[in-house]
Amino acid sequence: MDATLASQYVLSGLVIGMLYSLMALGITFIYGIMKMINWSMGEFYMIGSYVQYALIATLLGPGLWWLALPVSMAAVFVLGLAIQRWLLRPMFVGAVERRDEYATIVTIAMMLFFRNLAIVLGGPNQYAPGDYARPTTILTLPISGNRFVALVATMVLLGLFWLVVKYTWVGRALRGASQNRVAIQTAGIDVLRLDMLAFGVGVALAAAAGALLAPDFLVYPENGAISTFKGFEIIVIGGLGSILGSIVGGLLLGVIEALGSVLLSAAYKDLYGFLLLIVLLVFRPTGLFGERERTA
Amino acid sequence: MDRRRFLSIVVLAAMLVVALAVPAVAQKPVKIGVLTPLSPPGDAAAGQFIVRGARMGMEDVNGRGGVLGGRKLELVIEDDSGTPEKAIAGFRKLATQDQVTAVVGQFHSSNMLAVQVLAEQLKIPIFATQASARSITEKHMNYTFRTHVIDPDRVRLWNRWIMERGFKRVFLIAENTDYGTGLVEETKQLFKTMGVKAELETEIFDRAAVDLTPQLLKIKNWKPDLVLNGAVGTPIYLIVKQAYDVGLFPAVPMLVSYDAPVRPEFWKTVGEKGTWLSFIVYYHPTMKLPPRGEAFRQKYKAQFNEEPIYGAFNGYTQVVLVADAINAAKSDKGEDVVKALLANKFEGWNGTISFSRGEGPYWQQWTPPMLITQYTGPEQPFAEVKISFPPEFKTGEWVPGPGR
Repeated sequence: MDATLASQYVLSGLVIGMLYSLMALGITFIYGIMKMINWSMGEFYMIGSYVQYALIATLLGPGLWWLALPVSMAAVFVLGLAIQRWLLRPMFVGAVERRDEYATIVTIAMMLFFRNLAIVLGGPNQYAPGDYARPTTILTLPISGNRFVALVATMVLLGLFWLVVKYTWVGRALRGASQNRVAIQTAGIDVLRLDMLAFGVGVALAAAAGALLAPDFLVYPENGAISTFKGFEIIVIGGLGSILGSIVGGLLLGVIEALGSVLLSAAYKDLYGFLLLIVLLVFRPTGLFGERERTA
Repeated sequence: MDRRRFLSIVVLAAMLVVALAVPAVAQKPVKIGVLTPLSPPGDAAAGQFIVRGARMGMEDVNGRGGVLGGRKLELVIEDDSGTPEKAIAGFRKLATQDQVTAVVGQFHSSNMLAVQVLAEQLKIPIFATQASARSITEKHMNYTFRTHVIDPDRVRLWNRWIMERGFKRVFLIAENTDYGTGLVEETKQLFKTMGVKAELETEIFDRAAVDLTPQLLKIKNWKPDLVLNGAVGTPIYLIVKQAYDVGLFPAVPMLVSYDAPVRPEFWKTVGEKGTWLSFIVYYHPTMKLPPRGEAFRQKYKAQFNEEPIYGAFNGYTQVVLVADAINAAKSDKGEDVVKALLANKFEGWNGTISFSRGEGPYWQQWTPPMLITQYTGPEQPFAEVKISFPPEFKTGEWVPGPGR
């Protein structure tokens, strides 16, 4: 294999890994604050892609895809707030004994509901918005313009997310909540409101991934399944609750899958990520950047 | 009331109940199952067209008075999602709960291979509507029928095309299903036996994968002069779009192994990147059809305001075929229907259909024609594409796409 081809494989893995990490970040962020796994994350990705497609196809036109993106994110953010308020909050304020089970049942029910709703509303057909940009090149890698746009937008979103979490009052409150939900209430912070915000932001990140990847990975009722699957893999590799882990885990998974699929066999692409995951779990059970949970 | 009088009232009442029940039994509808993909990861668009055709078949039969002297035909539609486990569950439900006479609509070869075993056990005829793996009919199962092409014939067609066009380096990318792996095996074997003077390279990819960039870069680096796209459903579109993005297609021609590009969703999904794509079809709007096929075509156009698609033709044909076989058998029992299917000739959408028990995969098999066509402009309607192969059906020249 020549050096150019090898570099193309690595670059394509890094690009797709970075895109996966957006999804992983949403999952890990919600877990970090609410201590629950959102199994319907892929459906928020799917809703983001449908909203983006609908806006471009009916209202805005292909030239205004960049305007459709924040609108799609905002729509899913609001949906996330409502779902958190009406479906998930009861596990923190009601007499729910087993929160994990409650969250699992509710989010799996949402997954089924939204998938079937998409089939009812949009049919089982596939769609794709027009291209966001012409094909281009990153170093040696010929790449779709859509994917290049998605890469840049992902990096901007990750940067913004980091700035907010690191330097704003809300970010400090969120970090506090992720460390100790009880203690932070003694500082006068309404943790239930933070939950709403965290869920809304987490699912909006998934929607951003869906909207950005819609032209390349298409719009159909189950299009979020793969991204969710990769997202969960990444957070275990990177460490549950770690933002840096989401990014590094995503890049690592992307490169391993790309190299495995061309050097070994493309038929077992998912296997390579799982092998990495198993090796990591053996030697570092908390993932690359995860911390062992402290129990009082 | 004395004992004798009481008994006579009971007997009269029983007779009345039986008398009332007999017409009800006579009017009990005959059920046909449609087990087909209606949601992803199956090729849900294909399933929709099959269901459309099957429904029109049912309406056609009922409009002519139903079956068995007046019993209505009823369809029970089940979604197999393109996965064998759902197909098996769906078939069991159709057989045991709905008690269907036959099942039509099978699209994915892996599903068909899974459910045909059950069909044999439960003695219910099952029809492959667009499942084309060789092994489906090669197993010589009594209750398995197919009115669709077989992969060896598909491969023979593209091999003849490869020889005619003089391609020298052919890359086949196929999905990891019975259909995809079957295509790879058939192509490897028939390249040798047919004496194709071209180098062949193959790659099997994970059907669930959405990013195929590394595989397409690998293919591009191999410098093929033809890419054969052996995917089904969503991956077809992903390969076309991503091959365009890495600069592989249309500089290198691509042939899709079946008629997915004729669907309305094709242009909505791939946009102008689909221009210059070649693909195999089994029906073309310029075909002259026998009366039953022509009547279906006109009715379909009136109902859906678009040209019918092969899957709809075949779904329609299979329902009408089963109804005709039920009438010929004078029974809705699976065993009797199978005997009637083997003993009679039936009118299909494109000619007379008969089933015989031939050698190898040609067992209870009827094959439609296969044609190679090509889009030569963006958003080109299917009715305007030219047939470039085989020579006996040719209506226009195949055109190489522009290099980039």
